[in-house]
Amino acid sequence: MAAQSLYEKYGGFGKLNKIVMAFYDRLLDSDDLGPYFDEIDMSRLIDHQTKFIASQLGGPASFTDEQLGKAHASLSVTHSHFDELKRILQTTLSEHGFEEHDSDLVMDAVESKRAVIVQGVV
Amino acid sequence: MSIEAINEQLLRSVGVGIALFHRDQLKLEFFNKVFESWFEDCSEGESISSVFPTLEIDNMLKRVEADGQYSTELKFKKKRRTIVVAQVFSEAVIGTQRLLVLECQNITRIRELESMIESYSSMVERNARSLQREKDQVEKLLLNIMPRAAYEEYRDFGVVAPQRLESVSVLVLGFVNFDENVEKLPPATLVSELNELYSSFDRIGEQLECERIRSTGGSYRCMAGMQDSDMDHLQAVATAATRFVRYLNRRNESADTLWLCRIGIGSGSVVGSVVGNQKYVYDIFGRAVNAAIKARSLARDMEVLIHDQSQPKLDGSMRPTEPQSSDARKEGLVALIEA
Repeated sequence: MAAQSLYEKYGGFGKLNKIVMAFYDRLLDSDDLGPYFDEIDMSRLIDHQTKFIASQLGGPASFTDEQLGKAHASLSVTHSHFDELKRILQTTLSEHGFEEHDSDLVMDAVESKRAVIVQGVV
Repeated sequence: MSIEAINEQLLRSVGVGIALFHRDQLKLEFFNKVFESWFEDCSEGESISSVFPTLEIDNMLKRVEADGQYSTELKFKKKRRTIVVAQVFSEAVIGTQRLLVLECQNITRIRELESMIESYSSMVERNARSLQREKDQVEKLLLNIMPRAAYEEYRDFGVVAPQRLESVSVLVLGFVNFDENVEKLPPATLVSELNELYSSFDRIGEQLECERIRSTGGSYRCMAGMQDSDMDHLQAVATAATRFVRYLNRRNESADTLWLCRIGIGSGSVVGSVVGNQKYVYDIFGRAVNAAIKARSLARDMEVLIHDQSQPKLDGSMRPTEPQSSDARKEGLVALIEA
């Protein structure tokens, strides 16, 4: 039997939508990361974040590295901004009842994408 | 406190944004705190076109006049967040003064959730399509190793119960020069040749309601009557057999590789079942199969043999002749050829 994904463990879309909205609010409110989204259309941003979080939790979405790289290519994301994104996501997951071990797994998955999201790292 | 004062207090404190415009001059006369929180720069006396530059004022007034109200949505950025406000304009008369009443509700969260659901639906639909593709592939694979009726039983119940089929007909075909061709041909060419041959047999069989049971290397078996024992299954496999021979003869006239077959046909009862737990193989056993194998073993190249007593009522497309081998004659077999 296939192992249960974090997406299933934490309640599927019923829970995911709350995590995505909380993550979205925090990103927009962040002084460091918010400016990245000044000119981005709301529905496009939510679409991206829904897919991103679902894929990191093993849900019904998968981003290829190429897609992630392309989506962030023009944003000049720095290492400190990437760290801030991770911190916000970790706080959001923790507030939504994620066990530390599970949250760490997500963080590892996100960390593995650093090279394609942060500009200049290959 | 007067009624007017209470009304004003209520308008100021409700959770929706409220603004009142002079109906004729279209100037802002009143707005509450919620309204102000979205439209910070507005001030009393300001024209409606200045407060809402994108509002279609003529259309709004026309609709209010005709329908009593006009609804629209206003989208704008506040800091970096896209705010979506639903607006409803209506008219009210207080004393002698006509007013345009604007009620605003923040529906940003609803729109954000709609966007998320749309995104999620597209993911789920894509996954569903991909699952369907996989399911189709699995179905195709399983249909290659078992008849449709057995596959449907397996799909619905997870098992295929062994089944005795009292009256069916079986065709067993063997290629005479199979080993020789295996030695001679490159693997890819050999597989491509077999694909073509067996796919052609499948197509011919399908037209006659004969279903392939299995093909292993140089042998091919099919059966008729599994789903409908009342059909003339013997006629069906006999017709299929003579058409297989016709197809091979025609193919051999122009193809680089020659394929020669021998075919036996048997009728009677069989037991059909899936054999194996992990690696499924559908197989049939019994009198009809044994009779077909025996007939095939006595057939000569490109000959179709059948037991005399089970000769089908010939429909004019084929006729019986004497078998080429004396052993076959002794066994009471007859050969079928196309008329």
